[in-house]
Amino acid sequence: MQYFGSVLTLAGINMIMVIGLAVLVGYTGLFSMGHAGFMMIGAYTAVIFYKYLGVPFAVCILLSGVFSVIIGLVIGYPTMRSRLTGDQFAIAMMGFGEAIRMIVSNTEPVFNGALGISGFPKLTSLWVVTLLVALGLILMFNFIKSAYGKNCIAVREQEIAAEIMGVDIVKTKVIALAVSAFYVGVGGALFAFYMTFISPAMIAASKSSDLLAGVVFGGMGSISGPAIAGGALAILPEILRAFSTWRLVIYGVLFVVVMLFKPEGLLGYREISFKPVIRFFGRLFGKKTAAESVKTDNRNGGDADE
Amino acid sequence: MACSCVAAHLFHGGDFGMSVVIQQIVTGLSIGGVYALLAVGYALIYSVFDFSNFAFGCVMMVSAFVAYYSILAGCSVAMGIALAIAVGILFSVFIELIAYRPLRKKNTSRLFLMITGIGIDMAVTNTAVNLLGANYRPFPNVSVTEPIMMGNIAVGKIDIIALIVSLVALGILWVFLEKTKPGLAIRASAYDTSTAGIMGINVNQVSIIVFVISGVVAAIAGIFFGMKYAIYPSMGTVSTKAFIASVIGGLGNLEGAVIGGIILGLLETFVSGYISSTYRDLFSYGLLILVLLFMPGGLLAKSKSDKL
Repeated sequence: MQYFGSVLTLAGINMIMVIGLAVLVGYTGLFSMGHAGFMMIGAYTAVIFYKYLGVPFAVCILLSGVFSVIIGLVIGYPTMRSRLTGDQFAIAMMGFGEAIRMIVSNTEPVFNGALGISGFPKLTSLWVVTLLVALGLILMFNFIKSAYGKNCIAVREQEIAAEIMGVDIVKTKVIALAVSAFYVGVGGALFAFYMTFISPAMIAASKSSDLLAGVVFGGMGSISGPAIAGGALAILPEILRAFSTWRLVIYGVLFVVVMLFKPEGLLGYREISFKPVIRFFGRLFGKKTAAESVKTDNRNGGDADE
Repeated sequence: MACSCVAAHLFHGGDFGMSVVIQQIVTGLSIGGVYALLAVGYALIYSVFDFSNFAFGCVMMVSAFVAYYSILAGCSVAMGIALAIAVGILFSVFIELIAYRPLRKKNTSRLFLMITGIGIDMAVTNTAVNLLGANYRPFPNVSVTEPIMMGNIAVGKIDIIALIVSLVALGILWVFLEKTKPGLAIRASAYDTSTAGIMGINVNQVSIIVFVISGVVAAIAGIFFGMKYAIYPSMGTVSTKAFIASVIGGLGNLEGAVIGGIILGLLETFVSGYISSTYRDLFSYGLLILVLLFMPGGLLAKSKSDKL
């Protein structure tokens, strides 16, 4: 039971980070290979605040997200402002991820270099993660449904057309980057407090690929798809040990196959909807449940129209 | 990287002053030449098809390994290099035919092309890590690391060879692009791919030529990198430097890519010589960010409007 609990905790942490990246890659159409950098920032921020300054755990988690956002803005605003193409942004993010890893592994005083920091308790429990996944999903669905989310989709689909329609492209992209940095930063903090030990080697560059895999397989332009894929991809290496070593090879091949045959990913531009299930049960049990289903639909509201 | 530390110490072993600076400049130019080659291979594809070929690094790695294993198997060094270049060409064209061309036919967004490139790179690199092991291997049967003395200036033999070969390769490429008919077709496609197609240029043929060039360039760069440092499965990450170099020079601009590569090579050599080789890459990324901040189009910005 404890084993399942720990696997589920890791899956939840991965889910939080993948839905963060989904906003940037899936919704805004910006490609990032450096999000492990934000995870690193989040993890170290939380640990340093907790261990050296005695800040409570909950505040640490929040601070790690805020710090990731600040550094995300420092790196993101100039790149967005100068109207970089997606390629330049991708290269800049790749450089960012590497730079963060290099700074952390070579700074002895606070970060303790490549050895990393240990000696803090395990505060990330399954309940904390479940709560944060739920909270993260609700906030993310609201963000996507808001005007900001719609702007993101407009920018992805047709940047110039969106600009003509009055969408502030720089602002939209920076907001998308900030949101994704926050989620990945929080995920990093949870990861650190789950492992009770943090070192630069634990958050390798391949972590960026893992997160990206969740988004690509789950579906570009979906939140529930990447959330499911992110959870599944975190569980698979635990079940299949051989999968763990060949994981990145399989991801790579699947990237190509998915892009060639189903570029929209598992769920494409849809969200998981409970409507068909409810309709099915409604038909089974007659009128009463059908009335209930309308109520659930209104409450649910998660079905995107795209 | 450990090897560059050795190189740095080697240079500090001599007397300080002007001769050290000259040594650094020669080393920087030779690394810059290799970066310039890589950056040109990358910029060429970008200029024609408007996307970043992120699978570039793994072509370089595969070619270097072909050279390594064929020389170990008893081929001569020249034979090994020729085989490496042949495999580089085949692999590069194979990637184009199997992945990029079908995607371009569907007119997908550039994002999908980038993800495909990253996917190929991930699959090939990690296959090499799993099958061959991630350890570093010295380039076999070639002793080019010993320095040549010119007065009191010690310059690595490999640096001189790399510099000359990169310059010759760049020269040949320039002549090919400027003076031949296929070169003209490539330049026309780089200007506007779809119009070039309407004007009767076989864009598919152009794409094959472009990927052949990029394969040759990747193989040469891989061999030199292997000779100077070592051969290992993740050596493809060096191609990040090519991306940085071409951003510095102006994306899709070939002259810019050469200049960017040389600037990057000089910067890295001086940083590892005078500051610390640990922070070498940090300075490269810093330069990238600075360029993006102050001259987003790069040094030789090509004004280009977005296509709807």
